[in-house]
Amino acid sequence: MSMRELVTGGAACAVPGSSSSSSNPLGALANALIGSSSKTQERLREIPNAAAPTSDTQFYSQVDDSVAALPGSELDRPFLHSNAQGSDFIRGLRSFDDNGLADAWEEIQRQPHLDHLYDPAAAPIQPTLDGPPQRVLSSFLHSFVDSSRSGIPLHPTPLPLLGLSQGDKQCIRDRSSIMARHFFADKSEDFINAQVNALLSSLEIENDVRARGPVPGRFRELEDYWNESQGILKPGARSADGWVTEFSQYTAQHGDTNAWVRSFEQQHGASSWASEFEQEQAQLTSIDHLNGGDVANLAAIEQTRMLAHTLSQNDDPKFQNSKFLQFLSKMSRGELIIDDNQVKPASGSWATEYQQQYNGGGTWADEFVHNEVFRGPDQWVNEFATERERHEQADDQWVNEFSKLHVDDWVEEFGHQVGEGILGDTSSDNWANAYDEFLNEQVAAKQRSDASSGVYVFSDMNPYVGHPNPLKEGQELFRKGLLSEAVLALEAEVMKNPENAEGWRLLGITHAENDDDQQAIAAMMRAQEADPTNLEVLLALGVSHTNELEQAAALKYLYGWLQHHPKYGTLAPPELGDSLYYADALDLKPNYVRAWANMGISYANQGLYEQSIRYYVRALAMNPKADNAWQYLRISLSCASRNDMLEPCDSRNLELLQKEFPL
Amino acid sequence: MPVFKTPFNGYSVRFSPFYESRLAVATAQNFGILGNGRVHVIDLSPTSPIINELIAFDTADGVYDVAWSESHDSVLVAAIADGSIKVYDTALPPHSNPLRSLKEHAREVHGLDYNPTRRDSFLSASWDDSVKLWTLDRPASLRTFREHAYCVYSVAWNPKHADVFASASGDCTVRIWDVREPGSTMIIPGHENEILSCDWNKYDDCLIASASVDKSIKIWDVRNYRMPVSVLNGHGYAVRKIKFSPHRRNLIVSCSYDMTVCLWDFMVEDALVGRYDHHTEFAVGVDLSVLVDGLMASTGWDELVYVWQQGMDPKAA
Repeated sequence: MSMRELVTGGAACAVPGSSSSSSNPLGALANALIGSSSKTQERLREIPNAAAPTSDTQFYSQVDDSVAALPGSELDRPFLHSNAQGSDFIRGLRSFDDNGLADAWEEIQRQPHLDHLYDPAAAPIQPTLDGPPQRVLSSFLHSFVDSSRSGIPLHPTPLPLLGLSQGDKQCIRDRSSIMARHFFADKSEDFINAQVNALLSSLEIENDVRARGPVPGRFRELEDYWNESQGILKPGARSADGWVTEFSQYTAQHGDTNAWVRSFEQQHGASSWASEFEQEQAQLTSIDHLNGGDVANLAAIEQTRMLAHTLSQNDDPKFQNSKFLQFLSKMSRGELIIDDNQVKPASGSWATEYQQQYNGGGTWADEFVHNEVFRGPDQWVNEFATERERHEQADDQWVNEFSKLHVDDWVEEFGHQVGEGILGDTSSDNWANAYDEFLNEQVAAKQRSDASSGVYVFSDMNPYVGHPNPLKEGQELFRKGLLSEAVLALEAEVMKNPENAEGWRLLGITHAENDDDQQAIAAMMRAQEADPTNLEVLLALGVSHTNELEQAAALKYLYGWLQHHPKYGTLAPPELGDSLYYADALDLKPNYVRAWANMGISYANQGLYEQSIRYYVRALAMNPKADNAWQYLRISLSCASRNDMLEPCDSRNLELLQKEFPL
Repeated sequence: MPVFKTPFNGYSVRFSPFYESRLAVATAQNFGILGNGRVHVIDLSPTSPIINELIAFDTADGVYDVAWSESHDSVLVAAIADGSIKVYDTALPPHSNPLRSLKEHAREVHGLDYNPTRRDSFLSASWDDSVKLWTLDRPASLRTFREHAYCVYSVAWNPKHADVFASASGDCTVRIWDVREPGSTMIIPGHENEILSCDWNKYDDCLIASASVDKSIKIWDVRNYRMPVSVLNGHGYAVRKIKFSPHRRNLIVSCSYDMTVCLWDFMVEDALVGRYDHHTEFAVGVDLSVLVDGLMASTGWDELVYVWQQGMDPKAA
């Protein structure tokens, strides 16, 4: 069942005549705390006035029906038999005759409508820790969780003695801290600790010794650092206590006052708290409301006095701060009249203190603002600009560097490979074929990409149009690293002289520097048109295409570079290009077998198997010994689902194939 | 689909390896923080969508996990939050139970796994950072594996290799062990946050999954544990328990503090293949039946145990 049910004494939990039904105030607490939880939000709205007995009845009966219908619910036993003496809590409670608490409990216990809902006949199997302490725990645990969802830190609530043994307390402490870390994955360690401490201080559990500290790092050597830092914070553990107790007071007052006391004293305020808790500012406003509250909450005062005493033993500034908060809230409630020397203004500064406290841990905002990395958008730009400047030299040097320093080796290698590919038929076959196929695979992509990168887009509003020598200006600007300006200037140049390959080339380079490869390619292509043999242009085009991951085009241009390079030109026959070149090649040299085969490959790669078959057959007609081509043919045949032709293929029946697949 | 209501908050649910319609449920009062616990053994009714309780065992502290014996059809072991492991026999009356109480762990015992291959031994994972190996016939543990730096949440035997198991710990690592070796054989620093559960793939003995507080589930191949095979994101909160399907090679079921139970196929691009949102509190226990393909059960802190067939709505009548 949900926390709400538990806390409000939902089905199977409360026993008439016991203090369990006094969980009404805790119900309000629960409602308050988990008001923002999405799952329970509907429940919240279901209860227009949880304090009113009548609505409680309805709520209980609703719940009870649904719950009773489930198998196993008959096994639900009332957690606290009315005569059970097991719970210290009850004993403790009954002894509080001199405060309003007992009266309140009694009052609520007297709600008669609960009687019929439960079967008190069955004796509880487990005698201890039933009833309110359980609900308190449940409620707090859910507060943990829901506070993580809503982002509101948990505040401690001083509770009447719960009769928890030391062992119990240790259990609670350890387990809740372990579990808290699971709930609050996103939150900081401080937050988690605060949450846990909220729970613990509410239950008067000391958190001096953390039985299970925060998760140790994977690397034990860092443990020491951590422990050192924690050593500083150890007293600060209490700080969270204080902060948390401050919340506890707040909540106590809120819970107690709003539902608990008001429920039978005033019968108003319920709606106000309900609405309040639907906003995150609830705490502040309610404090205001409660300023004049005349809560006869002696037990709470007692608690706070004890807590205050405990807290006052610590000197840590953080801790002092939160203790401070605690007192503030007490003062704001008007309950606590001890410690007159710490009288401070009420809710306002509480709020600010709270804000500070809450934001203290989460100084991400501060960090964000002060973070040097972030703070320099200018800095970043400057860095980048200086980097660019450093890298830039004279206008050509980029390309020169590139072509001379980096590419030479690569080009040599490439050249050699190409050379081997041409010169050695057998040894290079594999390489050449692989290379061919690779290029072929890129054909379609290349064709697509060509279309997209073909057109250069001029900028509007070019201030350099009409400049006497925009080319020189552009070169200057490029040298200075003012790339955008350089672009404009160079555009002005090529607008003036469209055939100026150098202008286009520089424009392309500048765009490349600016990482605008599309424009770079477009400009370079214009440069190539203007001067098809310009090596640097071809190279730059190859590079740009590479950057754009248009490998086929890149290869084409680089190939062109090769062709036109005085050193390597002879090594790059036109046939070894992509299939677009094959067609040209075939026109030039119709008997070139490989070109035919490559055409077949190209078609096959595009999925046009019938065509590819024809080309293969043609190639094989010229050179029936080309084993590779036979293999390709076989593949294409089966891809084209011409299984009838597989047998002639295997038996190398060329005539039949030629008859079947004429070109 | 049948539903069972427990008086305490559910912690774990396990199908019996012997009876298709039998499950054990571990529950703890007050979310396991404080209070008593109870182990329920429940039976699905063959005809109607009713769940009957066969027997229940009460414990002095919360029960965090339960595991069925693979050697005796009526024996189960329960992991208790007071650090003890209790052995129960459903064939014996409640007053003769527990058969045995094995108390060695210094802290809460959080996970149990029975060896499905060897059938005679089981492992316990505890918040005292250790894993212990036990057999039913001995009062003391056989081995203690103490290497983790923080709570060990879960252990899982390798379904193929009888001596290999994995442990998931709050020190953000999964460790693979061989009982024959003194120390762990592999450490997978899988997540940046605590790892709450681990499980082996039932069809590929090299694949292991880990579920973490960082809301993700990662699948690892122990042969190349530097990079996960797959990362399953989709839970909104810490993932509490995962289980590989005994029937489908790539299917994993997970339950999380985001109150949902999710089904994943980690070999698929869009891995989340099912999400069940039936719990109204943390979903903390989930299990898939070995005997019935597609039969799954889940429990949560909303004190309900759902048993349903994969693909159906657990809350359907």
